[in-house]
Amino acid sequence: MRQRTQTLLDNINKHKTLILIYIFLCAVCFFSLFPLFITVLNSFKPQAQIMKSVIAFPRTLAFDNYKEALEEMDFFRVFFNTAFITCLSVMGIVICASMAGYKLSRNKSKLSFFLYLVFVSSMLIPFHSIMISLVNMAKLLKIHNSVWGLPFVYVGIGVNFPIFLYHGFVKSIPVELEDAAKIDGCNEHQTFFKIIFPLLKPINITVAILQIIWIWNDFLLPLLMLTNSKHYTLILSTVMFRGKYYVEWSKILAAVVITCIPVIIIYMLFQRHIVKGITTGAVKG
Amino acid sequence: MKKLLLVFTTTLLFFSLLTSCEGGPAGPKQVELKVFIDQPRFRKQYTAYLDRFAEKYKKEKGVEVTYNLEMPDTNAGQLLRTRFASEEGIDIYSCHAMNDLPEYTKAGYAEDLSSQPFVNKLYDNIKPVVTVDGKIRAVPLESLFWGIVYNKKIFNQLNIKPALTVSELKENIAKIKAAGYIPFLLAYKDQWIPQLLLPLTVGGFLNSEYPDFIDNMNKGRGSFADLKEFFTIMDLVNANGNKRPLDIDANLGNVEFASGKYAMYVQGPWMAQGFLEQDENFEFGVAPLPLNDNPETAQINIAVSTCLCVNPKSENKEVALALINYILDENDSSAFYESLKFNPLAKVHKFETYPWVNTAMTYVEQGKGYIDPKIPQPVKDESGAVFQSYYLKDMSQADIINALDKAWKSSLK
Amino acid sequence: MIRNMKKHTIPLLVFVSPALIAFILIMLIPMCITFFYSLTDWNGLNPEYNIVGFQNFIEAVADDYGFRNSIFFTFKYAVVMVVLQNTIALLLALLVNRIKKGKTLLRTALFMPNMISFVIGAFIWSFIFLQVLPTIAKSVYALRFLDQSWLGDSTLAFWSIVIVSLWTGIGYTMIIYLAALQNIPKEIIEQSKIDGANTFKRFIHITLPMIVPAITVCLFITMNGAFKQFDLVYALTNGGPGKSTRVLALDIYLEAFSSNYRYGYANAKAIILFFVVLFLTLVQLKVLKKREIQL
Repeated sequence: MRQRTQTLLDNINKHKTLILIYIFLCAVCFFSLFPLFITVLNSFKPQAQIMKSVIAFPRTLAFDNYKEALEEMDFFRVFFNTAFITCLSVMGIVICASMAGYKLSRNKSKLSFFLYLVFVSSMLIPFHSIMISLVNMAKLLKIHNSVWGLPFVYVGIGVNFPIFLYHGFVKSIPVELEDAAKIDGCNEHQTFFKIIFPLLKPINITVAILQIIWIWNDFLLPLLMLTNSKHYTLILSTVMFRGKYYVEWSKILAAVVITCIPVIIIYMLFQRHIVKGITTGAVKG
Repeated sequence: MKKLLLVFTTTLLFFSLLTSCEGGPAGPKQVELKVFIDQPRFRKQYTAYLDRFAEKYKKEKGVEVTYNLEMPDTNAGQLLRTRFASEEGIDIYSCHAMNDLPEYTKAGYAEDLSSQPFVNKLYDNIKPVVTVDGKIRAVPLESLFWGIVYNKKIFNQLNIKPALTVSELKENIAKIKAAGYIPFLLAYKDQWIPQLLLPLTVGGFLNSEYPDFIDNMNKGRGSFADLKEFFTIMDLVNANGNKRPLDIDANLGNVEFASGKYAMYVQGPWMAQGFLEQDENFEFGVAPLPLNDNPETAQINIAVSTCLCVNPKSENKEVALALINYILDENDSSAFYESLKFNPLAKVHKFETYPWVNTAMTYVEQGKGYIDPKIPQPVKDESGAVFQSYYLKDMSQADIINALDKAWKSSLK
Repeated sequence: MIRNMKKHTIPLLVFVSPALIAFILIMLIPMCITFFYSLTDWNGLNPEYNIVGFQNFIEAVADDYGFRNSIFFTFKYAVVMVVLQNTIALLLALLVNRIKKGKTLLRTALFMPNMISFVIGAFIWSFIFLQVLPTIAKSVYALRFLDQSWLGDSTLAFWSIVIVSLWTGIGYTMIIYLAALQNIPKEIIEQSKIDGANTFKRFIHITLPMIVPAITVCLFITMNGAFKQFDLVYALTNGGPGKSTRVLALDIYLEAFSSNYRYGYANAKAIILFFVVLFLTLVQLKVLKKREIQL
């Protein structure tokens, strides 16, 4: 027995730094996950119990909060609004940006360089600088207050950085491929969509992931553009819901959990891709 | 993985298409009114009343009315302006009769309602408040007599009366403290609550010692520094309140005040419903706020805050006007106003006034009441923020005066 | 010439036009409109307005206490964020890189908050600031310092915003640093160990130079993010108490869409924000490019 304790102590000594590292990292994890944990915990309590103690476990699981939040937020409608806006925007951005990025990279004319420069330098325009006029512009174009119009706005705002990414990536694709396709009788579009686009897959995934995270979680643009509660996105609906039940934490927390669930599911499913997408996006940026 | 992604996106897309197409083409017998009301705390009451109108309208005209009712909680003014800007076709909207109505009328967003039947039902002393450029522009909802609210139980128990001078107020505060209560509830998280001190202070001085104040300000030659005792009452209230007022918002304020720990609250009786929701036996009165030792400064503020307007650009004006008239309906309006705890303001209103209105009325009947002073909205907004900073000692009195003067000046531009 | 145009320019335009049209309509024209209105006194409602030249700009810079404060606040926030987020994330990345078991788990846990939107994060944290921390402070005597007016005091509100920003942001930067660390060839590290370099020296002389590109990117990302912060502050403090936490973006939003009725003035502020970001980016690029070459 003593001997075993001794070896254990030796082991501990040997791995002292490592153990310290683990303890520290666990503490950081606690900081990272505790807010989510406490939110889920309290979302199952009635309001009175939250007021009594926020740390205690709920005595019974109350799903009333969830039922009310789901109904009042009009969850299924706003969920599909968000999904629709996100899908359409991301598809639009991927197609528009890949086409533009590809041609801008291949075409060596002055016009091409100029256009590329315009796109890239526009990355410096903060959204908040144009938001006021954008509201007016959207009104003029009749694309405000519609789940069809918002994706167009996202394409316009979000297309510059992906163009930059595609522009760099296309350089790594040999030109011979296109020449071969031309000889086989493909026109420009066929060449792009049949030969080039499939080759862009890794960067497509990167672009799609970055845009999905941005658009799904975006708040200000929907706030400015969507005036009809029928068209609300998930985040917008949660904000409105929160305003309504300012002190009733039980309901707000249930709404927060509901809003987080889709994101966390997507994160768990595609974690590897997301991490890769972010690192490539960052390194290229 | 790739297939899964594909299936996932297509399903999402498919469902989204379904939901977005679900409405279908609307027949001529169906009208959707876009209604914007800045009183989310009354959602239940408004929804019920609007539904009753829809029922009635369908019976009478055979037109089905549905609503897109928007009741924002924060930044309502900003939202309404973006709604106007987007020409989304808001049909009916609520606004502040004193602060916003003139501006909206000037910009062409308030229909002339002078010839509507409801006008004849209004009490004559209410009409001027919703009149801009000689025409009735809105149907008034909430008329108010306000100052501070006080907890009647505590006042009766200590055998004290609402003070009319600062010295009396100090005596009251001492007694309240001695009995273990907190003299003032401070709920300063929402900026509009500290802001309330502005119309009360300006209104009280304007109608007693500084009658030219607003006139001077509007001519660009006045300053808040002219009001010598501007900070007296604010300092007294702040010094005798609870701790951490910036963590308490309006809703929590209702909970706190109804808990019975506080004797007074600089707040209007528009919160009545909120207090009574917490404790239905809660008894409170409305009293004026004294500003110095001159009892003339302590007066009740009389205001119409919320009113409903029709947008002249509405595509469903006929229905919108019918709804506006229904607000003062011969049979239903009385119960509606009563359920909202609003004061009666038209001949069709036949319900008892509330006890707190009666306490306010006793002051008004003695001539201690004035019409809410016309302070530009930017100044009010500014005051909410700077009074928070003043409480936190982030800003000095001189800073506050500068900020308010500047806000007033730029509102004249 | 004409043949050349047919052969190259037309396909170029065909391929670029979908992106270009959206870009022009949504970014370029609004930017021009913003420029234009920044020179007027339009109130956003009235049909008529006057052109007032640079008066709005002069007022914003010289005469607007609140706006100057919000510029100062935004700079302060950006500097604190850039320093804290990058140091902590780099430290975490180094530690996570050293351990063998549980790497993925740690990465998952630390990155999770980043997937949640700022607004939702702000709701979660306002619950923690207003309800959870005071309760903990009451029940555990040693932690009674946690009972603070986290969002109601101007200094604390700043740090609350920083805490929530770090909570969401650290995972993101850490992932980038981690990827950079994993790209360092093992042989170099081994070699230095043989040469007898200690951990600290190894970090300064070997690891750091290898990850300079990642540092460049992360500094850029955190600084940009800090200057464009809106959602979090909107949902957590809405600029309060007073105006103490109004970041630039929020100040512009409130100026334009609140009842202040000064739309032209708000646009002038928006243009100032644009130039501030432009200036900072250019400085950053220049400084970091230089250092990269030196190292």
